[in-house]
Amino acid sequence: MKRKWMWTLVGVAALFFVIALVIFLKSNQPGPSDELQIIQKMTAETGEVNELIRVKLFFYADGWTMVPRWREIVVPQNREDIYKKFVDLLLSGDSDRLAPVPPDTKVRATYFLRPQETLVVDFSESLLASFPGGTAAELEFIYFFVDNICYNFNEVKKVKFLVGGNEVRTLAGHLDLEKSFFPDYSYLRDE
Amino acid sequence: MRVRLLFVCVLFLSAAILWPLTLDIRAFDHGTHTRIVLEGDRSFAFRISSSETKIEVKIPVVGDFRQGQIQLQNLPLVDRISHEVVSGESLLAIFFKAPIEIQRNFVMENPYRVVFDVARLATPAPENTAQTPSPPGSGPVQEQKNEPAPLKPIDTICLDPGHGGEDLGAVGKTKILEKNITLAISNRLKRLIESRLGLRVITTRDRDVEVSLNTRASIANNQQAQMFISIHVNSSFRRQARGSETYFVSLKATDPEALELARKENEAAPETEATATDDDLKLILWNLAQTEYIRESSRLAEYIQNELNELLDTRNRGVKQAPFRVLMRTAMPAVLIEVAFLSNESDQRRLRDDPFLDNAAQAIYNGVAKFIAYYNSLLQ
Repeated sequence: MKRKWMWTLVGVAALFFVIALVIFLKSNQPGPSDELQIIQKMTAETGEVNELIRVKLFFYADGWTMVPRWREIVVPQNREDIYKKFVDLLLSGDSDRLAPVPPDTKVRATYFLRPQETLVVDFSESLLASFPGGTAAELEFIYFFVDNICYNFNEVKKVKFLVGGNEVRTLAGHLDLEKSFFPDYSYLRDE
Repeated sequence: MRVRLLFVCVLFLSAAILWPLTLDIRAFDHGTHTRIVLEGDRSFAFRISSSETKIEVKIPVVGDFRQGQIQLQNLPLVDRISHEVVSGESLLAIFFKAPIEIQRNFVMENPYRVVFDVARLATPAPENTAQTPSPPGSGPVQEQKNEPAPLKPIDTICLDPGHGGEDLGAVGKTKILEKNITLAISNRLKRLIESRLGLRVITTRDRDVEVSLNTRASIANNQQAQMFISIHVNSSFRRQARGSETYFVSLKATDPEALELARKENEAAPETEATATDDDLKLILWNLAQTEYIRESSRLAEYIQNELNELLDTRNRGVKQAPFRVLMRTAMPAVLIEVAFLSNESDQRRLRDDPFLDNAAQAIYNGVAKFIAYYNSLLQ
């Protein structure tokens, strides 16, 4: 009789395990790793105390993957300006890793649409003129920004691209830029 | 021991049966017909009965229906959709505003979908209906209507040479242009398909002219092509990137809400998207027509990529997914092929050689032929 109960318990536990597994598999989306941490640092020359955040930027290494580099950003007075600073930092590149961005590309503005959890990144018009073409180049460019932004800012779930303040259909005739892009963390690799 | 095993099995089985089946209902107006899709989170048994203005689907399990954002005002033929669960059986009823006929009814896998294409019933001439009685013993008219029409064998293929005109596409270091290479491969491929398979081949351009992405998709849709092959040459910021790859549409990379909405409503593209060339065409274009063909597109991509690997002897970059604008709006299996990289020196050299272009066309042809054989085998 005791054994019968034990088997019943095993059965029920197994059932719960299957249910938990199904729920886990359905909700298994990659996401940002850490909350941004604010650090206080004093500038030696002025004695001014700045709030800094440590961000993990990913740049292209060999092959398709991006590898991390740590940077710090001074937190601006207007918290919303942090996104533009972050994109500027991405545009400034890395000494020995690739930032897949045409030269002279500038970011005009960023807007965070809180209800849609979308960061709008508006690039200068020179982007279209200097974009080299090719599906690979478009994917490299788009996921360089989308993955980096969404990885570092938990509140941003997707990124929408504008050029010269306007929507564009594609960068070079391939990927649909009228849609917002969710991150694809398969491009990222921790070293 | 056996009894215990049986007990656990029964427990699992009953859990699987009792777990509600999630059923997502979608409907799109395609102009000539309305497509109704019932998608389950797993396969399910079903029974269909219909009358002139109603289709009923009975599913012998408890279903959790998700009607989402179907907007009936966008569906001229559909009056209302109702669903209920009665005594452990799920009932879906679709009511129509006018008499309809089921043109096609078929099942698709991964995810499991039951698809109905329904069209307004052509009104018979009054004298016929009035004077011709049903022959005795011919059976109920409805049974004939329910019989699914067979899928059509592939007879039309649309080739889409990327870029053209002022849109140069990628440009190689030696000023070799993507738009010229794609046209050269497309012309070769067209000849191969026509001469060896005897199929009708339409192209989105046959000369150096700029064609919008919307127009390319609408040409394929208007001509009722059953396969869409977009030919491109790649370029990358990374100079070492080389090789061929084949893409089909990805849904996960874009905004799921927008995708869902577009997928469900299948609304027509706004007029502002039309170009001067579009004006000449009656646009048959949907934002996400490709949604229903992803599995077939994936298989087509695999066949073509395997052949490219074999014949081109370039680096295999594999089958990939991305939200391509031109593919999303085609209502047929559709792929985009990147033959090689203009940004890579060795690939660029090869792209200048006619034998390489011949091989590229031959490889794509082989993949297409294999897909056609597979597709047609499903019809038997």
